[in-house]
Amino acid sequence: MTVASQRHSGGYLERPKPSGLADVVEVILDKGLVIDAYVRVSLVGIELLTIDARIVIASVDTYLRFAEATNRLDLYEKGGKDLPEVIEGMQESGARGKTSGAIEGAKSKATDAIGSAKEALSGEEEEEEEQEEPRRQRRPAKKTSQRRRRQEA
Amino acid sequence: MTVAAQACYIYGIVPAGTTVPVELAGVEGAPVELVEHDDLAAVVSGLTAERPLGKRADLVAHSEVLDAFAREGAVVPVRFGSVLPDTADVVAELLAPNVEHFLEVLEQVAGCAQFNLRARYDEEVVLAEVVAEHPEIAELREQTRDQPEDATYYARVRLGELVSQALSGRREIEGSAILEALLPHAVAYNVREGEGVDHLLDVAFLVPTEQREAFEAEAEDVAARLHDRARLRLLGPLAPYDFVPEG
Repeated sequence: MTVASQRHSGGYLERPKPSGLADVVEVILDKGLVIDAYVRVSLVGIELLTIDARIVIASVDTYLRFAEATNRLDLYEKGGKDLPEVIEGMQESGARGKTSGAIEGAKSKATDAIGSAKEALSGEEEEEEEQEEPRRQRRPAKKTSQRRRRQEA
Repeated sequence: MTVAAQACYIYGIVPAGTTVPVELAGVEGAPVELVEHDDLAAVVSGLTAERPLGKRADLVAHSEVLDAFAREGAVVPVRFGSVLPDTADVVAELLAPNVEHFLEVLEQVAGCAQFNLRARYDEEVVLAEVVAEHPEIAELREQTRDQPEDATYYARVRLGELVSQALSGRREIEGSAILEALLPHAVAYNVREGEGVDHLLDVAFLVPTEQREAFEAEAEDVAARLHDRARLRLLGPLAPYDFVPEG
C-alpha cells in the first residue's frame, strides 16, 4: 500500500503520486464538466463505468460486514490487552499494511469499481502494473474475498 | 490534428494563449493540442481506436494531461470519456455557446489547485474503542462470535447496526475537526461520500497557491495528531475536478 507513497521528512501524512489506478479513478470518476449527451460520440464502456460506481448496497449487508469486522477482533482473548498495548503491538508488528488489505477487502459493491482497484494496488506491485480494464476487476467473488480476509485476520 | 483521427477527445477548457506543456501525451499517446475560439481553448487530442475508453492508461492519461495544465494555469476539467466528432464540433458545440460561462468558471479556479484528503481509521483500533465504550455492542459481540452464523443472524444484524451508528457518530465529530483545521487555508471544499468500517473522511479542497504551504503543513499536523488511530493521504496538486459545475 505504501509502496508508491512518499513521506515528507518522516511525517505521518502520506503523499502518493496519483498515478495508481485506484487514486486516479477516485479523483476523476464522475467529476468535471459534462458535455451534452446528444453531441457526444457514444463510446460504450464509459457509461457503465460511471453508473456502476453508484450502485447502492442493502444496509443489512453492510451491517453484517460491520458485525463480522467486530467479531474478527481479538481484543480480550490474547491475554486481555488494553488499548494502548494493542496500538503498540500493531505498530511493532507492522500490522498496519495487513489491516489495510483486510479493509480494502471489505469494500462493498457500491465502491467496487474503486475498491477493487484499491485491492489491486494494495497487493503486489505486478498487479498494479496490469493493464487491466477497471470494469473487469470490479466484482471479486464475494466468498473469495471473505475467505481471504479470514486468513489475514 | 492527426490525419487518421476519427474523433476528438476532450480533456478540459483553458484560456486562449495557454501553452501546451512539453512532451505531454494524451489518450493513446496522441499529441495534445489546443482548439481555440474567442478567449477560450479546448484541450484535445485525436482518437483513432474504436474501442471503449476506460482502461487504466486512458484514465491516467486524462488526469495527467489535466494536472499538467493545472500546474501552469487555470483549467476547467471535462468529465472523463468526453468525445466529439471533430474540432469543428468542439468550437460549434462546446466553446462558442459557452464563452461567458467558461470564462467565469476559469476565473473562479484561477490561482488555485485541488487537494484530495482521505482519512481512514485503523480498523482494529476504532472497533476496539467502540466495543469498549458500548456495553450493548460488547454483549452482542460475545453472544454472536464463535456461534453458527445461521443461529445468530438477527443478533449480528443488530450488532452491525449498532457498530455502524457508533462509527458514524465518531466520524462526524472527528471528520468535522479535520475539516475545521484545514478550511482556513481553502476557498472551497467538497466532502465526498464514503462507507466502510474504516471510513473517516474523504474531502476535496480548493487551495489558493499562496495558502498551499500552510495547508500542507496543517495537513501534516492533523496526520500526526491522529496517527495512532487513523491514516491520512493527501493527493495533489490536482486539476480542480470537484469545483466545476456539472453542466
